[in-house]
Amino acid sequence: MSASNPVLIIGAGVAGMTAAVELADSGIKAVLVERQETVGGNALDLYKAFPTDDCFYCFEGNRWRPGIRKCFYRSALIDQPNISLKMNSEVNTISGTPGQFTVTLSVGPQYIDPKKCTMCGLCLEKSKAFHLISPQCQPQAVVYNPSINDDGAKQAEEECPTKAISLNAQPTEEIIKVSDIIIATGYHEMKPVNMDEYSYGKHPNIITQLELAKIIDPNGESNGVPLKPSDGKPVKRVMMVQCVGSRDENYYPYCSKICCVFALKHANILMQERDGVQVSVVYMDIRTYDRYERYYHTARESGVEFIRGRVSLIQPREDGSLDIVVYDSLLNKYLKFSVDLFVLSSALEPPEGTNKLIESLGLKSASGFVGIADPKTENEVIVGDHIYACGTALGPAEVPESVTQARAAVSKILQSRK
Amino acid sequence: MDDNKSAALICTCGKQLQLKYDFLETQVSKMNLVASATVHDFVCQEEGLAKIAETLKANDGHLVIAACSSQKIQPRIDQYLKSHDIDSTQIQYVNIREHSAWVHKDIDEATKKSADMIRGTLARSAKAVKRSVEQKEVSPHVTVIGGGIAGIESALSLSNLGYKVVLLEIKDELGGHVQSLPVVAPTGKSGKEILSGRLEAIKNDKDITIMTKVRVKFVSGEQGNFSIHYLSDDDEEKTLNTSAIVLATGFKEFKPTSMEEYRYGKNPDVITQFELSCMLSEGKLARPSDGAPIKEVVMVQCVGSRSEDYKKDCSKLCCTFAIDNSLEILERIPDATVRIVYMDIRVPFENEMIYKESREKGVDYIRGRVSMTWEHEGKTYVRIYDSLLDKYLDIPVDLLVLSSAILPSDGTLELSETLGYAVEDDGHVKELYGKLRRNETRRRGVVAVGGITRPQFVFEAITDAQAGALVIHNELQGGTIHTVARGAVLNVDDCVGCSLCAQQCPRGVPLMIEQTEAEESDEEQKILFKAAIDTLNCHACGVCQSLCPSGATQLNFLSNDQLWSEIDAVLEGAGPENPITLCFYCEECSVSTIDIVGTRRMEYPASTRLIPVPCAGRVSIIDILKAFEHGASTVMIAACEKDRCHIGGTGNEIAQVQVDVARDILNAIGWKGERVDMFRMFSAEPERFTKAVNEMVKRAKDLGPTPVHDGTAGKWREMSE
Repeated sequence: MSASNPVLIIGAGVAGMTAAVELADSGIKAVLVERQETVGGNALDLYKAFPTDDCFYCFEGNRWRPGIRKCFYRSALIDQPNISLKMNSEVNTISGTPGQFTVTLSVGPQYIDPKKCTMCGLCLEKSKAFHLISPQCQPQAVVYNPSINDDGAKQAEEECPTKAISLNAQPTEEIIKVSDIIIATGYHEMKPVNMDEYSYGKHPNIITQLELAKIIDPNGESNGVPLKPSDGKPVKRVMMVQCVGSRDENYYPYCSKICCVFALKHANILMQERDGVQVSVVYMDIRTYDRYERYYHTARESGVEFIRGRVSLIQPREDGSLDIVVYDSLLNKYLKFSVDLFVLSSALEPPEGTNKLIESLGLKSASGFVGIADPKTENEVIVGDHIYACGTALGPAEVPESVTQARAAVSKILQSRK
Repeated sequence: MDDNKSAALICTCGKQLQLKYDFLETQVSKMNLVASATVHDFVCQEEGLAKIAETLKANDGHLVIAACSSQKIQPRIDQYLKSHDIDSTQIQYVNIREHSAWVHKDIDEATKKSADMIRGTLARSAKAVKRSVEQKEVSPHVTVIGGGIAGIESALSLSNLGYKVVLLEIKDELGGHVQSLPVVAPTGKSGKEILSGRLEAIKNDKDITIMTKVRVKFVSGEQGNFSIHYLSDDDEEKTLNTSAIVLATGFKEFKPTSMEEYRYGKNPDVITQFELSCMLSEGKLARPSDGAPIKEVVMVQCVGSRSEDYKKDCSKLCCTFAIDNSLEILERIPDATVRIVYMDIRVPFENEMIYKESREKGVDYIRGRVSMTWEHEGKTYVRIYDSLLDKYLDIPVDLLVLSSAILPSDGTLELSETLGYAVEDDGHVKELYGKLRRNETRRRGVVAVGGITRPQFVFEAITDAQAGALVIHNELQGGTIHTVARGAVLNVDDCVGCSLCAQQCPRGVPLMIEQTEAEESDEEQKILFKAAIDTLNCHACGVCQSLCPSGATQLNFLSNDQLWSEIDAVLEGAGPENPITLCFYCEECSVSTIDIVGTRRMEYPASTRLIPVPCAGRVSIIDILKAFEHGASTVMIAACEKDRCHIGGTGNEIAQVQVDVARDILNAIGWKGERVDMFRMFSAEPERFTKAVNEMVKRAKDLGPTPVHDGTAGKWREMSE
């Protein structure tokens, strides 16, 4: 048994991070590969996550780090023994046999050494090429945008107290051997640019739910005050429309599962915690499973207007507002609304590269996401021989489901090694 | 205990922090409890780590590191020292970056605040004790209660992880509800198919003992040493020793006999969805009243679910079950009519495609409610209100199928006391924390998986069971628990047997042990029960310490003496000329919030001093009053959100009680109660802290000097001196 070989985890969102920390805690080395410059995936932009309505993620204390729960920003992923974090990196090829995979990684240029960066702020003052993605980002380090290669950046490189900056960093390739693979590639929020009926991308005040999350984030630009992207004026009337690209034969036939709760969470924040905002939701079925019914209750109680039907017409006006005509299937009537912000609850789709991964590893597909290897067993986290998946790589999932799936995947790996 | 002098390392963050380091170094050097003060540029980098190691050695482990957030640098420092075999357990941290230099523009003020907080930390450090790695052997044995799909999968997973498992089932065979499912979406396999491989594996597994027709009566002991008392097959009471417990007792279907509109229990042709599953599984699809063939079927969704009178929430599975069963009916009786009366059809992910398939195959969906059911000349009729057509329809039916709510299984509430888990409003077992710790319960060593926690699809229950096994494996570590003993330590001699700790511990760790051998000369004085705390089971929140009337239980990393001397030292110079707001903050959500405030350079007044505690529940009334005694003008506690306490829900509620009582005391002695308050926060909303701290600084100003400042509370001071 190749028990000494590490486990490759693709994707450092909620699921991937949980898997990495659990494996590391059990003494198994994990190589955590993340395409972006900060870990956290989509969840990093969520601001508040259901079901707990507090931050999107935190880590449990573990054997190695006693305590109870560790906030995301202090997850210390770069300092955890047994975890090798590859930021800005992608899996290139996977070959070999189950239990003995050979993986080539494209490791992007490491302009900033996160172990050296103290976030002192010196470089941020020198050049706009450096920025902090979020105060909660992990690794806790600034990131560098090479397209702004100005004199300030060079000066920052020289003056950085810990010499953490290397502007000439080059991409590299690494070959590693791993015994198991955990796919935790997450999801992508569909950008409905092709859906003419919603005019997304054609008007600044037509946005998606994830984009709305950023607007109402107190750590964001407007400190959480909802402002119109068109003119920066306060938003008073919001309309959300559900099932954009989901339950739609032309796009994705499945239900994206979390958009109703996601939308209602935002509706409740806007109605209850922001001043003078009125929210309407256009829906087909409100799907607040299990205890999420609470969000629906709260929304109704706080005065969110629900319209069962579909949007039939959007007309921008000169003042940046939008006239929306909605067919109400309960009243069998067309209704006209005027709104400041039109928010699309857009489908969750498999991220780019999922297909390639499924094909190259010979996995099954579940509507484009990674499918269960042997459906009869209902072992959802086992997707191949020595290959596991967790989180939204398997299809739409909530944060707690992703965490549980990650633990199940680690549980299965430990079981296979006993 | 003698006070130890500590070395102080003061970091400049690569000379980037705006503090007067020369002044700081001189000030700190003059402090009573300092052995040496050194300014260093990079304590988090290699040279700094080496300096830490060197300083620790020279000072017998007593070191105060004044730098950025310990939340970030401590892991690296611990790791470095561990790899060099140097003990790091006595190091104390103070954050002079996010908590001082980055949030106060006035450099003099920030420097003064930093010096005060270093003085406080030196006092905490003076009484720090070394914590050692302890080892304890427990039996690698786990008991699973409930032999449905979740219980079976738990047993198999735990056995695979190397544990001996006993699987207890109340019925005479394993399999639970899944056995009777004719088809399970989205794979379309029958419940029996899903179970068969697992039942086979479990029977061949030497490490799994299956016991059927067993009823659990009560449980005693704690993680690592539970005793399960149960009634066996032949009604004999027996005991089973085990180290951890998996609760997998599943769900029950609501029987809607009290809902007049459906005539369930009165008309045999009115059945529940699960009863229909059983009929389909057994192949007996006929009208229950007379065995006649079935042509007309009406299914009603949300029977008892999404209802103020029965179950508030959605039962999640019923839509999928109804669609599965209606397709199965159409498969067997192609010319049957199936109508589903619904409010919202809720089918997650690919189940939507089965919903669509059912529409294509002719299942009729009516959005509305059934308003009444009646019998006429041997036939059953239902009246349906169709909300899309705004019309009533009267329809004769052969079978009225009620998609009835999913409730926790019987006995969940009864076992909650003895097993020590908390119960949700809906009767299911309450998870420890909704985002991260779904399988853990309030009681350490008791894990809940499957339908007992919430309605779950089959694959979800299986995932839950696999994850639950990992959680237990993390706790039991194969039977050899090897860890630094960090938590509450109980001095039995000081225990007065009040049992407050055992009642209020958020994880149910302290046990009350009968003092059978303690012979007291005076029978009246004899304490019958005393607490016992296994530090290795402790979550280190300090709730027991804040409640203990005799100081018998104390955290080994933050004793009463440590905190009190820190309060004293940090408030040096506080008084009418220097009104200070003291903030106790929990090292969970609050430290994160305050750190983020720093990272975002959000300013707040420098007349604030901060003291970390592991959980807000660690702060006692006495701690609060000590702060006033030593000159604080106002005191605040920064805690996690309500009902989101990290340690299991009650730590910050205890803190709230302490604050309330402290207020009452202040009011009673003629002070203003609002000098103390509690605030809740999380790091996604950093302004919660700045608002809170501004409010308390304002109150300090508005309320003016305290009587302690005036010296008029002399009596009180004498008593506590």
